This record gives sequence, structure tokens and C-alpha cells, in this order.
Amino acid sequence: MTARLARLRGPNNEGLLLAVIVLVVIAMSLASPAFFTAGTFFALVRSSMVPLIFALGVLLVLISGGVDVSFPAIAIFAAYTTVTLFMDGSGGTALVIFAVAMLIGAGLGMLNGVVIARFRLPTLIVTLGTQGIFKGVLIAYIGSAYISAGDLPSAITEASDRHLVDVAGGGYLHFLIVPVVVIVLLVAAMLKWTVFGRSIYAIGGDTEAARRVGIRVVRTQVWLYMLVGALAAFGGVVYVILGKNANPQSLVGTELDIIAAVVLGGASIFGGRGSVGGTVLGVVLVQLINNNLVLVGIPSTWQRAAVGVLLLLGVSIQAFAATRGRSRPVAVQKEVAA
Amino acid sequence: MTVTATPVLEVRDIVKTYGGVHALDGVSLSLAPGEVHCLAGENGSGKSTLIKIISGVERADSGAITIDGTTHGHLTPNEAIRSGVQVIYQDFSLFPNLSAAENIAMLSELAERRVLSSRSRIRAAAQRVVDDLGLSLDLDAEVERLSVADRQLIAICRALVNDAKVLIMDEPTTALTYSEVQRLFVIVRRLQQRGVAIVFVSHKLDEVLAISQRLTVLRNGRVVESGDASGYTRRAVSKAMTGRDVSETRLVNDVAPDAPQLLEVEHLSRAGGFDDVSFALRAGEILGITGLLGSGRSEIAEAVFGINPADSGRILVQGKPRRIASIHDAVDAGIGYVPEDRLTQGLFLDIPIAENMVAASLDAYRTRFGLLDRRRIRRSIADLFGRLRIQAPNSSAVVRSLSGGNAQRVVLAKWLDRKPAILLLNGPTVGVDVGSKEEIVTILREQAAAGMGIVVISDDIPELVSCCHRILIIHDGHVVAELAGDDIDADEIQRRMAA
Amino acid sequence: MKHRRLAGGILVGTMAMALVACSSVDEAEPSDGASDDSSSAPVEDGAYVTVVKATGIGWFDRMEVGVDEWAAETGLDARQEGPAEATNEGQVSIIQDLIAQKPVAITVVPNDLAGLESVLAQAREAGIIVVSHEAVGIENVDIDIEAFENKAYGAQIMENLGECTGGTGQYVQMVGRLTNGSHSEWIQGAYDLQQAEFPDMVRVEDPIESEENEEVAYNKAKEILAKYPDIAGFQGSAGTDVVGIARAVEEAGKSDSVCVMGTSIPSVGGSYLESGAIDKIFFWDPALAGKAQLAIARILADGGTIEEGTDLGIPGYESLVKLAGADNAFAGNAGVAVDLSNVADYDF
Repeated sequence: MTARLARLRGPNNEGLLLAVIVLVVIAMSLASPAFFTAGTFFALVRSSMVPLIFALGVLLVLISGGVDVSFPAIAIFAAYTTVTLFMDGSGGTALVIFAVAMLIGAGLGMLNGVVIARFRLPTLIVTLGTQGIFKGVLIAYIGSAYISAGDLPSAITEASDRHLVDVAGGGYLHFLIVPVVVIVLLVAAMLKWTVFGRSIYAIGGDTEAARRVGIRVVRTQVWLYMLVGALAAFGGVVYVILGKNANPQSLVGTELDIIAAVVLGGASIFGGRGSVGGTVLGVVLVQLINNNLVLVGIPSTWQRAAVGVLLLLGVSIQAFAATRGRSRPVAVQKEVAA
Repeated sequence: MTVTATPVLEVRDIVKTYGGVHALDGVSLSLAPGEVHCLAGENGSGKSTLIKIISGVERADSGAITIDGTTHGHLTPNEAIRSGVQVIYQDFSLFPNLSAAENIAMLSELAERRVLSSRSRIRAAAQRVVDDLGLSLDLDAEVERLSVADRQLIAICRALVNDAKVLIMDEPTTALTYSEVQRLFVIVRRLQQRGVAIVFVSHKLDEVLAISQRLTVLRNGRVVESGDASGYTRRAVSKAMTGRDVSETRLVNDVAPDAPQLLEVEHLSRAGGFDDVSFALRAGEILGITGLLGSGRSEIAEAVFGINPADSGRILVQGKPRRIASIHDAVDAGIGYVPEDRLTQGLFLDIPIAENMVAASLDAYRTRFGLLDRRRIRRSIADLFGRLRIQAPNSSAVVRSLSGGNAQRVVLAKWLDRKPAILLLNGPTVGVDVGSKEEIVTILREQAAAGMGIVVISDDIPELVSCCHRILIIHDGHVVAELAGDDIDADEIQRRMAA
Repeated sequence: MKHRRLAGGILVGTMAMALVACSSVDEAEPSDGASDDSSSAPVEDGAYVTVVKATGIGWFDRMEVGVDEWAAETGLDARQEGPAEATNEGQVSIIQDLIAQKPVAITVVPNDLAGLESVLAQAREAGIIVVSHEAVGIENVDIDIEAFENKAYGAQIMENLGECTGGTGQYVQMVGRLTNGSHSEWIQGAYDLQQAEFPDMVRVEDPIESEENEEVAYNKAKEILAKYPDIAGFQGSAGTDVVGIARAVEEAGKSDSVCVMGTSIPSVGGSYLESGAIDKIFFWDPALAGKAQLAIARILADGGTIEEGTDLGIPGYESLVKLAGADNAFAGNAGVAVDLSNVADYDF
């Protein structure tokens, strides 16, 4: 009985999260007849795409035992730079734009990785620093102007309007959901079925032990941060396509919300734990709440408080579930010291 | 057993200096296939440095290492692994977040330079090693959820997954109980039969002499003794390690017949921990509590100290019933506790020795204006530093820089500074070398002689025998025997513990 | 252990951020800053500094054009600064740094009125003239100058919106931040006018906050469209609100049936004016507003006063009106409504 319950709950409380999502959906359906529709579902999918891509990057870094706050800066840097490169109509299909942006992203990620792995510096501090650098360089040297729909490369505006499913008056499913889903599956497969993926878990579990069994920690970390940079850049281009504008002021500042969603999805901020499934659920839950408060009639003045309370609750449950059953040295040390 | 084959590992004239200090000064060692070779030495003798050099983690200044006929001037960790040298570290170096199977097979997956990881291949590789050694392990369990003994076995399995030729075991028995140690020895003998050469590093000389064929003792970076293990006694090895005669005889002070009862524990029970435990402790007495890991010996101490209070029963301190529901209550009642894992529970590692010493007793140093009396604090620190013979440049060194024995002394100092009437010590000499062990026991004797009541919880039986007036034996949460005076005998205790 | 290390990391990280923030402010104006800071600079030659909500936004880039023009015209040292993000904390720290540099005047477009009061009071105590913009009701400034009377401007938007919807139907209003004073007054002025002149229109939700974020505006507008399929009008306040709304409306295929109007600028809202998803945008020229602030600061520095009818010599600010309810607030008459027909006249 308890074994079956444990299996339902999942290794990172994915089951619990799914149950909460179902509960929220039921509650919102009761609160508003307009909620349970294809339109709401498509809108949820659409608004989850960019946070989900970012969340995958955050997940990888968290599993490896780090914290990355520079990914929104990498995302907008890569996307905005690529847009300005192709703005004069010098061709460039959507594919080329994605490729160029992801190369830029991987390059910026490599900078993070090299500093972190070579000099063994704390990831949070390194990425806080690079976040400022990336954003500063972007604004100062690449451009600070808002690029509106009319000035975007035509490949991007065309991509903006490509829908996979279009329900007249009931919303649409954007075609970018296809590459997003593919990337989600690829990252999940990588974490599960490649030695690289397992090495990331190992490094997050115990870096010294990883070194001792012969994992090339420096090389793995550099590749990891390059991958995360490329993911962030992909998310940045998706963001530009969906928003039909390129605004260098956007994205930076959203990093903590994404990290919160990933932690909500069961990843441990101390490293070594986390799953793609849980991350998807975490992001969906946050977006579900974030994007339907008007619909279910929560007054604007209360919306941010509501999101905050729900996040805090979710993350606390996760943290509690994760620490339960582990040893208690920390508490004891505090008490003795008091 | 006779060992005549050509050496599988040969270390010649290794010299290693750190900042001008000779950590190793011309050390040589040779290892035949199927030999268990004990490497003994006190902390700082150069054992760890030698292990690091053999495993490629550190580079020797001069000398050569020959593995299986190939001589390496400078060995990298990966070369060492590929040559068949495996180290089982004292901390096991496992991944707490991964399954047992993955921990075991990670090494071979990496060594084979695989790109894709296959759960079934990993499972099979792990299963093969586990079956080979005739173990039963839950391979799908996360290592974090396994017992220390199982983790040790996983560390061994991992070392063997890639056909190790030389296995270095660094303090493998520190966290194991008597019966687990016996099980480990069975495995070690099985490996030996398969021709694996084993370097066995341990503080516990009984074990060393029981399992090893040959023995090398290091002191101050030099080999001081080397030879057939059968030619040595405990005492001789101790002497070689410390350079002096270490007494291990039973030595207990007389307790005055009218010494007051300091602590009376009556019918103490806690669900899932222990049941109906009663004992008493008089001033000047040292009481030993022993039992296998999981017998409830630590839980009793934790209940008396309020960490996990008892469900029922009574605790009297100096004749008065006290409600002990928290650590705070216990401290108020005059009880001190030196926890089992001194490194995580008892000390602030990155803070100077001096501050650690007074951390628990700052309240006692307040002047009447509520300020700290710095002069009195300095006096106490100087006094404790000298009295406990802590070996550190000075009292402002951080605790992390200390050896196990010295760190344990700082924990002791911290509690002695509170001047508790009753001091509970859980495994006071775990991970401490012979010389330091003796000194810690001496300190305990001195404190008892001065009127303190001391409870030592330990599974180091020779240690208990050497200093306790009485010994309680716990089995499955119950007190199964109480030995006193001449009844105290190591073999008898061993027998009762396992019963 | 790990906990402690993390906490330490966060602390150090925050400090690093603060350092980055400081240095970026210092470097914003390398040559001017350096020469003015030196104690030898005479007071009458001191700097006029405009602090905007955030740098790198089209609107404030345009304001900087005005600031630079004014500097060129008058020969005085004027420059513009702003935090990288539109936060109150960012503005406070910039103003704190400025106080130490002792400029003649600080003109400021606050993110949060209440949040700036105390630091502006410090600036004035230090003898610095403070002029604000988009900040009616703020206390610790010499003069607040508005491009127009806010409620009148809101009413102007609603007049157009009501006309577009035919005086009937449901509508919602969006603000950048619920704490933003000007945005609140625009929607209040609009709401009052709707109540008086378009009684058949219904505001179906309390004002919605877009967090000055286009993506948020888009998502909220989508929710509104789902909840109120018959919605007839949207009024936006932050410059990107109408763009986000327009995108949602366009996707819903309701560009013709839904009127989208509100504050924006041509470079941001222009493409949706062309597509028809936005019907009209309203704004005032930030370059002129920037100049007006500086002109007022200069009059005050020369010992003059600002009164009803004062002429700043800047288009739209030829005859200031005193705003009711505050003794330090004046307004010009500089609001403009732009639709597809005249959008080409404005190149920012």
C-alpha cells in the first residue's frame, strides 16, 4: 500500500504536483465557465513554452549542484543580437536564426562554464556577474531600442503567425510547440540515457567523488554550461517570435520565477536531484496560476500576493518532503550553539 | 600463507615535501598478488600522502611506482585506475543521489568511454560483482537511504567492477560494528584468493593483525617497521607507531563508597528506540554503554540529553527528578554531550579552536553589565588548551585544520568548559589514532577522579575495558547485561553484544 | 555547511550586484561626471541631471534627445541617467549618488512616488533643485510638471474610445503598475468621463496590472477576451500595454470589433496601428517634456518662480496651468492623439 503510494508520488514528488495541478484545474473550472476550454489550454501551452525551455537549463545546472541566474541575459542577448544581424533583410530563415542565436548562447555559456569549472568559483556569484556583463554589453554595444513587429526580420514575423492548430475564435496551438517538445524529450533522454547526463547527476551528488571515479569534471561542466547557454538562446528566440518584438529590457529579472518553478518541480537546490517530468509540471503549475487569476476573478491587487503564497506553499512542501527522513545534524548543531 | 609471486605494486624511494616539510622521506613498499598488507601509522605519519601518490591524486617529488611491471614516474588518477589501482576512501566517495547499481557501475561506464548509458547493462555489471562477492544488496536503492555498512560494501563493489589488481582500503572499519567487520573480513579473504592485493589502513590494531599478512609502519614519513604480520603484537605495533610504550591496561580509579548518585535513569522507553532502560551513575564513575550499531545505545544517550526525548520513564539528576524534553533542559540539569559525529554535530569547522571551546558556555562569561569578560575567556582557553594537550600552532587555528584526535579534544574542551556534572560521550575515539586515544582516555580518567560522572557510549571494546567501572550491554533496545569489576572482559562483552 | 555556504554566496552575490550597479552608473557619463565632480567647478556651472524610470527604453531615449538638445541650446551641462530596470530602488541609489555630486538640479520621472519622497527630501536639503515629471502629488519637489492635466488626458482617451465603440459595450483598463500615480489618474479621468458621457459602457474589471511587461499585458488581455467574448474596448497605460493587448486581439481575430487605445509611442505601437489592431495611441513628446523639466529647473536656479500662465518657450508648454490638489504641480497642454493618418509625423 505505502509502496504503491510512494510510486504514485514519484521520486521527486511528481505525482503530488500532478494532483495539485488537477485540483487547481478543478477549482478554476468551478470558478469560471470560461476556464475549461481549448482556448485556455492553448494559451497555457503557449505561455509555458519559453519558461519551460529556460527551466530545462536551470534544471541541468541545479542537478549539477549549481545555480544559474544568467540565462535570461544570455537569452535576450543572443536573440536580440541575432535579430539585429538579420534586420536589414539579409535573408536568414528561421532555422538559420535559431542556429546563430544558439551559437552565441553556447559561447556565452562557455564563458560561464570556464570560469566556474576552471577556477572552481561559486556558480551563483559567477552567473550574477556575467548576467550584469551580458546585459550591460547588450545595451551599451548592441542596442537598446525596442524593435517592433514591423522591423523584425521577415522570417521571425512569419514564424510568429504559424499555427499548428487553429480553432476559430478558440485560440491556436503555435507550431513552435513541436521543437519545444522535441527539446524537452531530448533533455530527458540525455539525463537518463547518456553517460554525460549521468555524470551531471554524479557531479551534483558529490563533485570530489566524481573526480575520483574518473569523470572529467571541468570538461563536463564546460559542456554543460554551453548547452545551457544554447538552450537559453533557443528560449530567447522563441520569446521574440511569440512576442513579435525584440526588447533588450525584457526577460532579465524573471530568473528567480523560473528557478522557483524548477524547485517546485522537485529539483534540489543542493544539487543531484531533479527530473524533466517534475520540471514540466512545475512550470505548468506556475503558468496555470499566473495566467488565470483574472479569469477566475481574483482582483489585480491580490494577484501577485496569490502567486507568491502559492509558490511559497509549493516549494515548502517540496523542501519538507525532500528533507524528511534525512539525518538531523544541522538542527542539532544549531540548537547546541544557541 | 606464503607469498612468493612477483610484486603487483612496487613503490620505491618516494619523497614528497609540502612547503619544506618531508611528508614522505624515501618510502618503499612492495605488494604481492593476494597479499593483505597493513599500512599503519598515526595521523600525520604520511599514510594518506602515500595513498594519494599511489592513486595518482598527488605527484611525488622523486621515486618510482611500478604497477604490474610498468614503471610510472608520474601517475594520473586515470592511469592509476586503468592500471588496476582502486582506492576505497574513508568517506567512500559515493554518490548519495544515485542508485547502488549506478554507483558500482559508473566507473566501468566511464572507463569504457561510453556515450550512452544503459540501465540494464549497469544493473547487470553491478549484479555480477555483487554475486561474485556473494553479497545481498538492494541495487535499486538510493545510496543515501542505505546503512553505512551497505555503503561500504558498495564502495568495495565499485572498486572491483573493473578488475582491480590493487585495492587500497582507507580506514574501512571505522563506521562498522563488530559483526559487520567480520563480514568485511570474509570478503577481503575472498578477494585475496582471487589474487587481489590489498592495502589495509586502520587504527584498530586487533583488526589489522587479524587480517594482514604483512605490515608496514610509518612514522614521520619514514618506514620504521616492515615485515611479516605474524611477528607483531598489538603492543609492538603501537610502540612502532608512537615511538613510545602505550599502556592499554585496565586502569580505573576507586569510587568512594559514599559517592553521591549523580544520574538515575528509571524505566526509560522510547518507541522504536529502546525499552525499559534503567541505570545509575555515581560521582567519579565511568560507565560504559555498548551494543551493536542500531541496538539503541546511541538513542539512550540522545534521550538523556534531550535530543530525542524519551516517551516514558524518569530521569533524576543529583537525586532530583528532572523533565528533559530538550537539549536546553539537559544542559540546565548539568549534563554535557559529545556527539558521535564530531565533525558535523559538535564543532564549527571554520572557526578558531578558541571560539569553539567557549561556544557552548558564553553565558558563564558575562560580566554584571552583560558584556563578555574577555580576560576570563582567554584564561579558560589557555588552561583548556594546555590541559587537553591540543596539538595546534595556537588556539586561533581553525578546527578544520586539526587531525581527528585533536578535533575530538576540542569537542571535549568545549564541554569541559561548561563544567557539567555529568558528561556523555558517544564514540569519543572514533577515527582517532592510538596515541591520541590513550590520551583521551587519560583525560576522561582525570575528569572522573575530579568527581565528574562520565558515560562512554562505544563499540571499541578494548577502550571500554581499559577505563570503565561498569559496562551496560544493550541488545535490541534492552539492557541485556551489566558487567562490573572483574567481570569486565572483552570476549564476554563481544559474546553478549551479538547474542 | 552547505546552507551556510549558500547564504554566504547570496550575500556576496548581492554585494557584487550592487557594485555592478554602481559602476554602470558611474560610467554612464565618463567625461562630464569626472570634470563636474572636481570641487573646483563653480556652482552656476553645475550639472542638470534627469533621472528616468529606466534606460534603454524608446520613450526615455527620446527624452534624452530633448535633454541633449536643451544642453546644446543653453550651453549648460545637462545629462540623463536611469536604472537598468524600472525599479524604485534603482532610482533611489542613483539619486543618492547624485546628491554627493551636488548638481544644480535633479529632474526625475519616478517609478514610485512614495518610494522616492525621502531621498528627494535629502536632495533638497542639500540645496539641489528638484523637478519631477509624471508625479502629481509628490511632496518633496520644487515643481512637478505634467505634459497635461492627467485626468483631462484620461478623459481625452476615453472620448476617443467611447466614440470608437459607439458609446456602448464592455471595456477594461490596464495600468503598468497599480502604484503608478499618473496611470491611476489617466484611468480615473477616463472612468469618470465614461460614467458621465457613455453610461451604456461598462468597465467589467478593476484596473489590471501589466507589470510594464508586454508579455503580461498579452496574457491578461487573452484572459479578458476569454472571459468577456463581447468585450468592446481596451485602454492601455504603459507604452507596451496596447501592443500586448493588440497582439491578443489580433490573434482572436477581433481587430475590427475591439477598440484598443492607450498611451504608447509610434516606434512601439506603430506596426499594430498599421495592422489595425490598435486604433489610436496617445502620448506626449518625451523630448519636449524633458526640456520642460530642465527649463523649469533653470528658471528656479535663476531665482524665478513658476506660476499659472508661465511660458517655458517649448511647444505645448507655452502657458502652464496650475493643477488642483497640489501646490507644486503644473501642466502644459502637450498631449497628442495619433492614428494611422498622422503616425508618420512622429519619428520616435
